[in-house]
Amino acid sequence: MIEIVGLGKKFSVENPKKLSEQERKDPRLKGRFFHSVVDVSFACQPGQVLGLLGPNGAGKTTTLRMLSTALKPDTGSVHINGTDVLQNPIVARKKIGFLSGSTGLYGRLTGRENIEYFAKLHGISQAQFVARIDELADLLDMHTFLDRRSENFSTGMKQKIAIARAVVHQPEVVILDEPTTGLDIMATQTVLSFIRGLKKQGIPVIFSTHHLDEVSELCDCVTVIDQGVSKFNGSLSDFSQLADGSLHQAFLASIK
Amino acid sequence: MWLVFSKEIKELLRDRKTLFFMIALPILVFPLIFGGMAYFTTQAFAKAENKVLKYGVVNSQYSAQISAEFSASELFEQVNIDANDDYAELIKNDRVDFVIVLPDNDGADILTSGQLAINLYLNDAGLNLIYNRVNSIIEKYAIQYQQAAFAHLNVSPDQQVALLKPIVLSKVSTADQRESWGEKIGGMLPYLLFILCFQGAMFPATDIAAGEKERGTLETLLISPIDRTKIVLGKFLTIACAGATTALITVLSMAIWGLVLSRGFAMQFVADFMSQIGVLDFVLMFLMLIPLVAIFASVLLSISIYARSFKEAQSYMGPLVIMVIIPVMVALLPGVELKGGWAWVPLTNVALAMKELVKGTMDYFQLIAIFGSTALIALLLLGFCVYWFKQEKVLFR
Repeated sequence: MIEIVGLGKKFSVENPKKLSEQERKDPRLKGRFFHSVVDVSFACQPGQVLGLLGPNGAGKTTTLRMLSTALKPDTGSVHINGTDVLQNPIVARKKIGFLSGSTGLYGRLTGRENIEYFAKLHGISQAQFVARIDELADLLDMHTFLDRRSENFSTGMKQKIAIARAVVHQPEVVILDEPTTGLDIMATQTVLSFIRGLKKQGIPVIFSTHHLDEVSELCDCVTVIDQGVSKFNGSLSDFSQLADGSLHQAFLASIK
Repeated sequence: MWLVFSKEIKELLRDRKTLFFMIALPILVFPLIFGGMAYFTTQAFAKAENKVLKYGVVNSQYSAQISAEFSASELFEQVNIDANDDYAELIKNDRVDFVIVLPDNDGADILTSGQLAINLYLNDAGLNLIYNRVNSIIEKYAIQYQQAAFAHLNVSPDQQVALLKPIVLSKVSTADQRESWGEKIGGMLPYLLFILCFQGAMFPATDIAAGEKERGTLETLLISPIDRTKIVLGKFLTIACAGATTALITVLSMAIWGLVLSRGFAMQFVADFMSQIGVLDFVLMFLMLIPLVAIFASVLLSISIYARSFKEAQSYMGPLVIMVIIPVMVALLPGVELKGGWAWVPLTNVALAMKELVKGTMDYFQLIAIFGSTALIALLLLGFCVYWFKQEKVLFR
């Protein structure tokens, strides 16, 4: 399981004059610092899918970047199956699989080489990789394009390679930052089936999204973040009951 | 680190644009420059030599022999002009190519007439062989008149030589051929090498960090279980390798094509000059390029990781070329030598040392200062690059 307690992150503002009107009015701007995430806490159990919701600029991406160890939090703690992620980020990274909608590939490498590069960075041996890539190619139906250069791939093909790359090291937790944004229907389905597959394997999945239909289809629990604070933590049914079963209304009610 | 390096090299070798600039251009650029220059110069000279020149002549009645020689030649075409015409206007309007104004006295006997002054009006701005072609005719008569005068005065051949040039001051340079040519060629070599090293490193540098940001692969790389210092070192080595390879290919291409063309055109001195520079000097030149390339690679990688996109990185790197040229230009200034303080000025000292190596006058003790200062700066810059790569405000701008 993954457990996040009291996460906070501030960024220094280099030039306050460059901020937009909306940013200047944001209560998170304090002096020369913008407190992007103030206090976020939630937990995700094995086999659970947690939907991370919130308006644009709420602090979802910053939170997920802290979970993935790309950013270092100023306050709070992140534990993955008992390991303190902040104390030992390199060990923690082996436990995390991360994917976002804007993740790209190395265009001049083939699909296989893209996955192999990250497998090796994770310390996977060549023999292990050969077995794992076959398994992933079967699972994601990638055999026809795996050995072609990825610069000419369709969005769906790219997303399949990106998924395989994110899970090649068999992570204990998978974090997805708006994984379906900008994807067509087929590519979106690939991502959603992939999340279902992880759920079956008992791997906790945290994903941020703006699509409430995806939340109702996949999520067991929901966390709503607004202005850097977690405003709601609970099961999907508790969430929908905030406004008589309508997820849209429930979302608006949670950030009031 | 080696994993990052090998992946970056693999990507680099598959990029046609980078390969073109790194390998094909340095290989092709020299035969194109040498060959092109030789071809166009020969063509231009042949044209200027064989062009039928239209001319006007004034006072032809006084120097009948010379006038007749011009009229008889197929390569000159006479146009009738008036002595009071504006010659510049005639030339400007293309009515004539030149006007020759002969002296207004019969000059075959120079002992009586004195020195003959002939004025040649021409537009001498571009390549033209008008003076040479006219002079070849005039000179013939000058010698003829001179001989007649000497004969009339009974001057012996030895006296003739002494009369024409009473004192001869001969310059005997103690610098050997290598030193005097090395001063010229050795000054330009670092200019070329520095720029090519920098250009060769610039293309992969833009792609390797700013390109990763733009494509969205950097974040995935940052959350891989590899220390960020190793990522930086892997990328740094790739850029440095690319820069050094471009420089090496350029030098080899220059040497090979220089030899091939010198044999082809029987330029024995180029071949001799090349053979005088020892292997040790070539090796030292290449070794000095290593810390130099390290400086370029660290600066370029720092810029590239700061930039949000490929385009932004390129716009920062462009003006940097001037920063590379200035130290080399300083090395070309008169009075700047590889001594004392100058031996410690980075980049300039490498440029000076390359010149000394080509000239064959290197003071090898100065190598300590050169390698010391260049390597120290390279290390400091690499340290900064590693620090820079760990800054969140740089990575997630």
